[in-house]
Amino acid sequence: MNSENGLFLEKYGKEIFIVMPAFNEAQTIEKVMGELIPKGLQLVVVDDGSNDKTYSIVKKVEKKYPEQVHLYRHPINRGLGAAILTGLEASLLANPMVIVTFDADGQHHVDDLLPMVKPIIRQDADVVIGTRNFHEMPLRKKFGNHVMNIITRIFYRINVGDSQSGLRAFSLNAAKIIELHSRDYGVSSEIIGEIQRKQLKLVEVPIETIYTDYSLSKGTDTKIGLKILAKLIKNIFK
Amino acid sequence: MLIYQLIGCVIGIIGLVISLLRFRDGKMSLNMLLVWTVIWVLLIVFSVYPTTTSLLSNITGIGRGLDIILIFGLIGCFYLIFKIYGMIETIEEEITLLTREIALNKKDNSGEKSDDEP
Repeated sequence: MNSENGLFLEKYGKEIFIVMPAFNEAQTIEKVMGELIPKGLQLVVVDDGSNDKTYSIVKKVEKKYPEQVHLYRHPINRGLGAAILTGLEASLLANPMVIVTFDADGQHHVDDLLPMVKPIIRQDADVVIGTRNFHEMPLRKKFGNHVMNIITRIFYRINVGDSQSGLRAFSLNAAKIIELHSRDYGVSSEIIGEIQRKQLKLVEVPIETIYTDYSLSKGTDTKIGLKILAKLIKNIFK
Repeated sequence: MLIYQLIGCVIGIIGLVISLLRFRDGKMSLNMLLVWTVIWVLLIVFSVYPTTTSLLSNITGIGRGLDIILIFGLIGCFYLIFKIYGMIETIEEEITLLTREIALNKKDNSGEKSDDEP
């Protein structure tokens, strides 16, 4: 199995672009990158105006692996949505087969990547979303994420297992045609909405989440859920 | 002159002066200067001659002179807030676009530079 994965990565590694939006992730980003680089994947890191050492850390890694790491920097913080968009646009320049968004806070398992990428390379899917196990999720996260799923269902008429997952894979074509406007965390729901609007083939793959105190302090909880709700309602009146 | 008339006049004059100064410094467009001048002059006129509001209320059929000012004032305020909200959203979007462009361009430029280096 492992050698099969090794062969697969050898063949397609260069065609897989990992977009990693990072805002103040100095604590974890080097470790996360360290796990991805040996797999031969291409990394597009977007530093979203961090005010810690994220930029210099990634710059150092970029110098070490100039063929694999590509660092972009927003001079000021513009939010997750903007960072993902920059990452997608930068990746599209290279016309890869697959573009994956991967959180820099260390909550994703590198081993979950291949099951996500394979359906796209096999052309079984245009977009793959990694679905976290809600039973393992801490309560306040679970509540926020459940609410976001319901909201996404109401606003975008599509039912997905985990609308706020940070681990998503896009085919080249899907990445080209989806249109995103949301600047902050609302982008996750917007992506789901675009899958529906552009009639893209969606596959959901269960993934593992690594919960640490650090990764828990980031991402969707109840407060962010309410913020996203306000934003979605605002969008109706636009 | 009653106190409220005095206060109305003073606020109107201060508003006029500020608007003119901002226009002089190029911080306000001619259109906005006209809008604000009309607002401040009306405030002064209504303060000095409160009876003029009755004239307006007779025309529009709204009960008292003061009511019509309050109603129009509120509508005006809401409109302004709505307009400002829209402007801020547009500016936020433009800043995001600029930020993203800068990030992408800078990378291109630094790429060229490193190509030049031996």
